[in-house]
Amino acid sequence: MVATENPAARGAKGSPVSAIVFDHVSREFERDGTSFPALSDVSFTVQDREFVAIVGPSGCGKTTCLRMAAGLEFPTAGTVTVGSRPVTAPGPDRAVVFQQFALFPWKTVHENIDFGLRSKSLPEKARRERIAAAVAMMGLQGYESAFPHQLSGGMQQRVAIARSYVLEPDVLLMDEPFGALDAQTRVVMQEELIKLARVNPRTVLFITHAVEEAVYLADRVVVMTRRPGRIREIVDVLPVRRAERWDRFDRSEEVMDQESFVHLRTRIWRLLRGEQQPEGTVSSSTGGSAS
Amino acid sequence: MAHDERRRPVWVGVATFAVLIVAWFALTTWTSTIGPGRFPSPREAFDALRQIWVQGYADARLPVHALHSAKLVLLGFVAAVGLGVPLGLAMGWSRTCEAFANPTFLLLRPIPPLAWIPLAIVWLGLGDAAKVLVIWFAAFVPAVINSYSGVRSIEPHLVEAARTLGVSRRRMVTEVLIPGALPMIFGGLRLSLQACWTTLVAAELIGAIAGLGHVLYQASLDLFPAMIVVGMVAVAVTAALMTIALDIVERRAMPWRRA
Repeated sequence: MVATENPAARGAKGSPVSAIVFDHVSREFERDGTSFPALSDVSFTVQDREFVAIVGPSGCGKTTCLRMAAGLEFPTAGTVTVGSRPVTAPGPDRAVVFQQFALFPWKTVHENIDFGLRSKSLPEKARRERIAAAVAMMGLQGYESAFPHQLSGGMQQRVAIARSYVLEPDVLLMDEPFGALDAQTRVVMQEELIKLARVNPRTVLFITHAVEEAVYLADRVVVMTRRPGRIREIVDVLPVRRAERWDRFDRSEEVMDQESFVHLRTRIWRLLRGEQQPEGTVSSSTGGSAS
Repeated sequence: MAHDERRRPVWVGVATFAVLIVAWFALTTWTSTIGPGRFPSPREAFDALRQIWVQGYADARLPVHALHSAKLVLLGFVAAVGLGVPLGLAMGWSRTCEAFANPTFLLLRPIPPLAWIPLAIVWLGLGDAAKVLVIWFAAFVPAVINSYSGVRSIEPHLVEAARTLGVSRRRMVTEVLIPGALPMIFGGLRLSLQACWTTLVAAELIGAIAGLGHVLYQASLDLFPAMIVVGMVAVAVTAALMTIALDIVERRAMPWRRA
């Protein structure tokens, strides 16, 4: 997780077990016979157990990036590898948390969390223990036999996160997971996710359009621009978080009040607005970024 | 659940019904505005009911006729659902299956079930087999269409979630596609059942030896309006009972909708 090395180059050969590597990835869509580019020459790496957020406006292709890592879509050029294997299909080693929660309405909370687990050949007892642990971790005790529509949006997304965590995936792919939640719930979920990420670190690719959320949660923030989707810059947050000891705060608003936080947030905003030329000082620009 | 909201409409409905009964008495028994040759008085209708219940009419008693009709509907309905729902699910899920079946289906779909009656008679005569076949046609189309749209209406991200969670093909069908399509499937079954009864009565009117349609036909030959009314009400009650049974199955099949 050293920020200054070139992750794309390192990921290309002999990357760690669960690193996600985007290597010169482009994606075009066809509509009415004409193809238009959604992603153009995107290269970056999410290191093993690193938390990377992608921010960008709607239509910049950030969700496409996540879907390609999940195996739900495929690049027109370039390669996406997870744990040095090219992604060819979805799999439970890469759990996805969707913005719309994607819980099965006909299954109870317990059955939803159990859904992916049942595909693994685990003994009944181990499965039940894992579910109990996930339920406790997400504060869902007492709701095991409720159906999703009986829960609030925040609770539903907890179930979805529990359903992913219970598989103990190498990689967690989160597509604007808090985008459909109200502001208060969203803050609570962000605080819980950052605690979770510390206790139980995973390789996380997190998609959001909220700059503050990205800076608060991520080790590095990939800033993307629109039409076609390109990487504008990759901003390192981890060194600042460590140096300024953001972890001593329990509440997100205290972190967000820090001058160091405000500075990073403003920097990313300027990048998104295209006011600032990419600079190399705090960033670890990769091969394909900001071309 | 919505008891308080529902209570008022129920009473309003009952009141309307009561007004209609009073009007029936008023127009027939009390004032004779409508002659007995056109529409029976309540008294005549009751007598006709007693006659078919106790002595029988058109070769059998009322329960025998009703059960005969219900049996044919059930046979045709179950056969249509048993074939139609799996076909609809397959068409909704697999593009290949859709490509094979859809053109034929689009061609057959607009044919009214009643238009199959002549062909069914040519093939199978006036017996029960022809009626079951026609009922099957009536129920098959809505069963297929609704199962097909049911699968198509499943939110794509649920299917994607299932795929990312690594489920087998079999579990995708039994735990995602079928439950996801179930609300629309049941909507289709309701339509199917309705169509079954319409078709059955029409088929029995054309030729039968028993059944509620046969009662109606015989009563029209006998110029017996009271018995016609009894036959119509009997169709309504039998069909309603089957719809209630379907409702019970539906609620059992989708417990998450009750909660």
